[in-house]
Amino acid sequence: MQKHSDEALVAYLDGELDAEERAHVEAWLGADPGVRDRLLALSETAGLLRGAFAEIAGEPVPERLLAAARGETASAGEAEIVVLRPTRDSQPPAPSRRWHIQLASAAGLFGLVVGLGAGYLGGNTLAPSGGLTARQVQTAAVNNWLDNAAGDYKLMVNAGGDALVDVPASGDNGDVLQKISQNLPQQVRLPDLKPWGLSFRGARLVVVDGRPAAQLIYNTDNKAIGPLALIIGSTKQPDIAPTFERRQDLNLLYWRHQGRASVLVGQSEIGYLWGIANDVAWQLDAI
Amino acid sequence: MSLRWNYGRARDAAPAASPVSKRFSDQLIAMLPRLRRFAAGLTRSASEADDLVQAACERALAREHQFQEGTRFDSWMFRIVQTIWIDQLRAREIRKEDGDIAEERLGSDEPVRRVEARLALSEVRRAVSLLPPEQRVTLMLVTVEGLSYKQAAEVTGVPVGTIMSRLARARIALQQRLEAGDGERGSASDAKA
Repeated sequence: MQKHSDEALVAYLDGELDAEERAHVEAWLGADPGVRDRLLALSETAGLLRGAFAEIAGEPVPERLLAAARGETASAGEAEIVVLRPTRDSQPPAPSRRWHIQLASAAGLFGLVVGLGAGYLGGNTLAPSGGLTARQVQTAAVNNWLDNAAGDYKLMVNAGGDALVDVPASGDNGDVLQKISQNLPQQVRLPDLKPWGLSFRGARLVVVDGRPAAQLIYNTDNKAIGPLALIIGSTKQPDIAPTFERRQDLNLLYWRHQGRASVLVGQSEIGYLWGIANDVAWQLDAI
Repeated sequence: MSLRWNYGRARDAAPAASPVSKRFSDQLIAMLPRLRRFAAGLTRSASEADDLVQAACERALAREHQFQEGTRFDSWMFRIVQTIWIDQLRAREIRKEDGDIAEERLGSDEPVRRVEARLALSEVRRAVSLLPPEQRVTLMLVTVEGLSYKQAAEVTGVPVGTIMSRLARARIALQQRLEAGDGERGSASDAKA
C-alpha cells in the first residue's frame, strides 16, 4: 500500500492501519487541506451507506425465512401450493359470483389449485349441489387472506384502469366511502396519500380474513411507489404490529388494530411501504 | 349434499433433509436481519434479497456439519450468501437484468415532498448497486457489517491487500456517484473489480 493513497485514507478511516502507517497519514492530512476534505467526504459517504441499509436490519423477518432457518421449507422462491379438497358438509347456498371470480383469480395468480369447474364461474348464482357457497369461499379466505389481498391487487392491475372499481373516485369522496361502507360492518375512512404522490382512484368490495372489506385503490406515475391498494376490513383477532410479507413480486404490509385489519399491497419498494403504512395507520386512528 | 372445501397442503410432507440442531438454527435465526441487510446490498430488490437469504439458509442447514465450532458463524454465513449470489450472477447473466430493473425503478420525476428522505437512502442503495459485484461485497462486509479487513478477506477468499484496494475503489466510486447523482441515472455495471 502506498503511504499517500486513497487506500491509505480509507484504511485510516476504518482503523486498519498500524501506528506507523497512521502517523504517515496524519502527517499527510496535516500538510494538505485537500486531503482532509477528501477524508471528510469519504467519512460522510460511509455514514450514508450505513444509514441506507440500517432500517433493513430492523425490519420484521419474513416468516418464510424463519421457517427456512428452522429447516421447515422446501426450495427458495417457490409459491406455496394449496389444494382445496372437498369434504361432506351441508352449507347454505349464497349468490356471490363476484367472490368466486376473485378467489379464482387469486388462485390462478398464486398457484392455488382450486378444484372447481368452469360452470361455477359462468352463472349469476351457484347451483345448490356441488357448488361453492359464499360462506365456503369465506372459509377459504380466512386461511388465505394475504393471498387474496395479493390476488385482488393483481386482478386490479391486470384489468387496467378503473375497470374493476365498484365506486370510482369523485369530487366528493365522502359519498364514495358512504357507498362502499354500506356493505361493511364499519365506516371506512379514506387516508389521504397525496403527499406520497398517490391519487385515490376508487374503491372495491373484496373479501379479506373471511369478511367483506374495502379495497381502496391509489395510483401514481411513480413506479417505485404505485399503484397501491389498501384493504381495510374488520377483525376479531388480536392486534398485531405491521408485518411484512411477500407474495411473488408483491410486497404486503398487514396489521390489526382495534378490530380493524389493514393490508397495504403493491410493488412499492419496502421503504416506501413502511412509510405509507405509518401514515395510513396514523390517519385511520386519528379522532 | 353439498361440498365443503377444506385446505390440504400439498407440501405438508416435505421434511427437512436432516435433523437441524436447535442451537444451529437459533444462530441462523439471530443472523437473519444481518443476512437480509447484506443480501440487500448485493441484490436489487427486497424479494431477490430474501430469496438469496432463504437459499443461504437452506445451504447452511445442509452443510451444518462443515461449520467449525470456534470460528465466526457470521463470516461463514456471509461467505455462503456471497457464494450463492456470485453463482447466480454467473448463471443468470444478471448484468442486463440489473440494468432493466434499475431503469424500471427510476419512476418519474414527480415531486413527492415526503419521500425525499427515503429517496436519498434509495439513491445510496442504487449507487451501491452500480458497483462491480466484488466491490459491492467488500463494501457491505466492511462498511455496513463491520467486519475487519482480515475477516472480509476470509469471507471472500482474497488477500487483505485486495480487500483494501476494492474497498478504496468502491468508496471513491460511491462518493463520486452520489456527488454526481449517478445513483439515480446510471446504468448497471457488473464489470469485474
